[in-house]
Amino acid sequence: MRLQLLALLSKEPAHGYELKQALEQIFGTAYPSPNIGQIYVTLGRLEKDGLVRSVDVEQSNRPNKKVYYCTAEGREALDEWVDSATEGPRVRDEFFMKLVLAPMTGIADRMTLINRQRRHYLAIMRDLVELAQQTDQDNRPAHLLIEGAMLHLQADLDWLERCQEDLL
Amino acid sequence: MNTPAMHTVNLVKIYQTGGLPVPAVRGIDLRVERGEFVAIMGPSGSGKSTLIHMLGGLDTRTSGEIWVEGKRADTLNESAWAILRRQKIGFVFQFFNLVDNMTVADNVELPALLGGASPKHARERREYLLCELNLTDKADAAPAQLSGGEQQRVALARALANQPQVLLADEPTGNLDSRNTRDVLRLLGEVHRQGQTIVMVTHDARVAGLADRVVTLLDGQIIDDGAIAPTRRRPKGGAGDVVELRG
Amino acid sequence: MNTAEWRWVRADLRARRVQALLTVLAVAGIVTALITAATLLEDGTNPWRGLFTRGNGAHVWLHTKDAPDPATLKALDGVTDVAGPYRSAPATLVQGGKKTPVALWEMAAVLPAVGRPVVREGRWLDPEDLGGVVVERSFARAVGLRPGGSFSVIGLNGATHALRVIGLAESGDQGFYPEWTPGLAWTLAGTLDQVEPALGRSESVTGLRLADPDDTSLVVQRTITELAGQVQRVSTWREVQASMELDNRLLGVLLALFGVAGLVAAALAIANATGGRVLTQRRDIATLKSLGFTRRQVVRMLVAEHGALGLGGIAAGVLCGRLITAYALAETVVVPLSSAPLLAIAFGTALVVLVAVWLPAWRGGRTPPIPAAPVAPPRGHLSRMARLALLVRLPPALVLGARDAFTRRLPALLTTFGVAIPMMMITIGLGCWATLDAFKSNPEQVGQAAALTVRPGSLTAGDANRLALADPDVVAAFPGTEVDALVPGQTRTVRTRALGTVTDPYPFSVVEGRLFRDRGEAVAGQGLLDLLHVRIGDRTRLTIGGTPLIVRIVGRVLEPEQDGEVLSVPLDTLAPKDALPPQYYSLALRKGGDPAAVRSRLQAQGLEVSQAVNPADRLSVIRVIIVALVAVLALLGLANLLTASAVGLRDHALDLAVLKAMGLTPRQVMATLVTGTGLLVVLGVGAGAATGALVSAGLIDLQGAASGIGAGIGRSPAPATLLVAVLTAIGAALLVALIPARKAARARVPVTSR
Repeated sequence: MRLQLLALLSKEPAHGYELKQALEQIFGTAYPSPNIGQIYVTLGRLEKDGLVRSVDVEQSNRPNKKVYYCTAEGREALDEWVDSATEGPRVRDEFFMKLVLAPMTGIADRMTLINRQRRHYLAIMRDLVELAQQTDQDNRPAHLLIEGAMLHLQADLDWLERCQEDLL
Repeated sequence: MNTPAMHTVNLVKIYQTGGLPVPAVRGIDLRVERGEFVAIMGPSGSGKSTLIHMLGGLDTRTSGEIWVEGKRADTLNESAWAILRRQKIGFVFQFFNLVDNMTVADNVELPALLGGASPKHARERREYLLCELNLTDKADAAPAQLSGGEQQRVALARALANQPQVLLADEPTGNLDSRNTRDVLRLLGEVHRQGQTIVMVTHDARVAGLADRVVTLLDGQIIDDGAIAPTRRRPKGGAGDVVELRG
Repeated sequence: MNTAEWRWVRADLRARRVQALLTVLAVAGIVTALITAATLLEDGTNPWRGLFTRGNGAHVWLHTKDAPDPATLKALDGVTDVAGPYRSAPATLVQGGKKTPVALWEMAAVLPAVGRPVVREGRWLDPEDLGGVVVERSFARAVGLRPGGSFSVIGLNGATHALRVIGLAESGDQGFYPEWTPGLAWTLAGTLDQVEPALGRSESVTGLRLADPDDTSLVVQRTITELAGQVQRVSTWREVQASMELDNRLLGVLLALFGVAGLVAAALAIANATGGRVLTQRRDIATLKSLGFTRRQVVRMLVAEHGALGLGGIAAGVLCGRLITAYALAETVVVPLSSAPLLAIAFGTALVVLVAVWLPAWRGGRTPPIPAAPVAPPRGHLSRMARLALLVRLPPALVLGARDAFTRRLPALLTTFGVAIPMMMITIGLGCWATLDAFKSNPEQVGQAAALTVRPGSLTAGDANRLALADPDVVAAFPGTEVDALVPGQTRTVRTRALGTVTDPYPFSVVEGRLFRDRGEAVAGQGLLDLLHVRIGDRTRLTIGGTPLIVRIVGRVLEPEQDGEVLSVPLDTLAPKDALPPQYYSLALRKGGDPAAVRSRLQAQGLEVSQAVNPADRLSVIRVIIVALVAVLALLGLANLLTASAVGLRDHALDLAVLKAMGLTPRQVMATLVTGTGLLVVLGVGAGAATGALVSAGLIDLQGAASGIGAGIGRSPAPATLLVAVLTAIGAALLVALIPARKAARARVPVTSR
């Protein structure tokens, strides 16, 4: 979560609770709601690495609050993150292990394995379709995310098909 | 015992290509219950299009049997198949295949008129369908003026015009973008909920996910046939769970 | 038909109004041309109908001693009206020293309601002008009278009266001169009284108009009974009609040929339009079938749609033909086409249209019901032609065009045929034209070496010969005699013409065998050979004036007279009693000599001169038909081409995008498209012209043989004419192909997945 927080702070200084609110506002339900404790832990680590610095701000009739801001180093780290390409997803190696290893041990038939896996994926797909229907139409990030998941799933299904053809 | 909407017995199709027999479908036994939504999947060349064409009588079978509502159909001649189609089977194609010269309204009314309905009845049915599919204002447009999704919705309306017992669809979303696919999917889901029997060839997992049952073909044979079981963990919250699902 | 089928037909027609209109127009044009041609022909070969209708003629004419009571005649069953009675008196017409019998008919200055002569030139009788008479036109021509000319008549009492021609008229109540004698002149009652004061020497003629022409003989019998012995002579419309009817066999055959050409062209136009349409509609048809249209329904829809266009065209054509003959040709044509040929044309075209529509419709009905796979145009390998084009390093546009031309075999073939057939018909038409020209310019080549025939009249044969030869334009005079010969086994006589001698033979145009070289040899026309079932080399026995004669037929000549049923022998073959003195001399004129001038010079010297009727004059109506048909055929060819390029462009939509992507300029794209169509056009036009040129002479000869003139008259069109026709056709075709190509080359063609 480090770099998300760093990115928010590079926009403007903020304290922990403000960051949590900003994240929720931007991603909506598309992203699991962040835990406030986790945010403070992450901020502490960032401060230790010198990427952010904090200032105590006095408040009347309340405890002091810690406002964080991004340092020049933090900015550099952020630039580096944005500029570098993100790694592609990896093939699910667990199923691949099953597919390769199960027949050796005589535990299962590969065709059966693939069929079961396909049905499972389709069930997931159905859940995703339902989810997309339930999700607010205006929530673009959420829909993008769901669509991304669907496309990955479709790719997995295509790959299953490919495996099956290869087995024939 | 309940008669299935459609079933086949050892259905075989062999094409003759340059004198060589090329089997496309090799002995398929398929049973489609009334009100069931069956998706047929499989890699290209697995014979799924050939299968659905034979189910609709668009292509002749080499051997085997096709039964529609408990009546044998594979022995029918071309004209008898045409009459069976206009009464009991609706067909949706990948490339929509609306009649370009006719307006949307005429396209949708055509099957009803063909079935012998009065022009008044055909018009009422068309108005109802276009209203359901949110296309009322496009009734007088030419098909070429519509987007792909709209055309496919019109094609769907046309296929449903005669309230067919079975709706056959061959890659209905194969030529649509994701937004139009979603529209068509919603419609299919709705008609299925209303009790429409659907057999659909698709390569799109989103579409197949809607089905009660998925039949997988490989090299002209069924290699998997079964219902899609619900996932153990149903998503409760929202889209955020997607990220978790994917780990 | 089902409502669904109607809907589809209506939608399809609405989507291609222009094409549909073109189809209707093409068929309408053909039918109009056929009807106009048939009407002209009917009128030309059977002038009686027109004259009879226009003059409200009488079906029966009674010649009686005294004038009968018209009221009695009118009261007869079957008689609707009566003309006359008129007084008629015989007289002798003297003109240029020549005497001809003539019948003078009394008539009023006001034309009667029934049996009205039809004034063709000048004016009708005028009560102020007692010396003015109206002369029957064919008679006036034969004796050389014109309006304004004067002549004299000698009455039976020997008195001579000077009269003046104030008008020429025709009548459907009497045949043409000289088939029908004596010649006729209409005069006022006063004039007739001067020429023939004695009532006893004249007779009375009365015309009866009948309710039903088929009752003629019945009415005649009743009248004869009624008038009890007074009737001297009766003539009926049938005799008049028969005497007026020309030999129309050649015309009939020619018209039949053009009719067939028109029908083939109509069939082609319809088949092309329908075929092209069905080809572009295969996907729609497949969709319809997938919806549950049966094969029969699809065929029925297509036949109904395209057949309706064709039948609409036929209806429009019939209407147009009627209107044209009624208004545009009101001067020449009086009576519309009789119903038999009209029905034949309408039903023949309808049948052809339906067959031509049914074939592509049947093909369309066989379309498999799977529309999912869009038809991709066959592509890939270059045709042999295109490879050849590459080999000789032609520009790329030409190579691509050459490739395009032949990728789709069937449309390519249809286009080629669609151009070739009209072109062939046009060439045949040009051949007919050339044949007519040959008749006209070289009559000696078609058996009319002599332009004039001189009869001695009051002179001796020798004097006549001498006088004729004295004329500067006369080259030769051949003595001739015509006799009727009896042929054993034939119920009729055969015209035998003894013309020229063995030593000085008449220049017959011999097309088979040779000319007679000896006595006892003869040449004959095709008609005679057919009539007697003999061949060249056969011997035939004849009896002439009681004298038996055996001749050997040694050759076939072109014989324009008497349907070719004429046997020609040298004069010395006949027995002297039959041959001498010769009845007439046939005069061969100097090249370029004017027959009319020579004729009037010789007539001035007291000779009886008649001018040979050139068959081309009788066939001049054919020229009108040729022009009309060439126009219609040219339009048809172009219509075919338009359909072809429309189909071609549709097929090429994707190719065009690729071509442009490959970097072809719009001009090159255009050149590619035009080359594609142009190659087929050149091929079609070339093939059509070549076939036409090859068969035209043969076809015309075939007609010639059928009409008795005999094979050998046919001429192919002159090479220069043919070249001009071919170049015009190709040029027009390229121009037509250029318009859509230009549009396509300019248009932005998106690369679409179809």
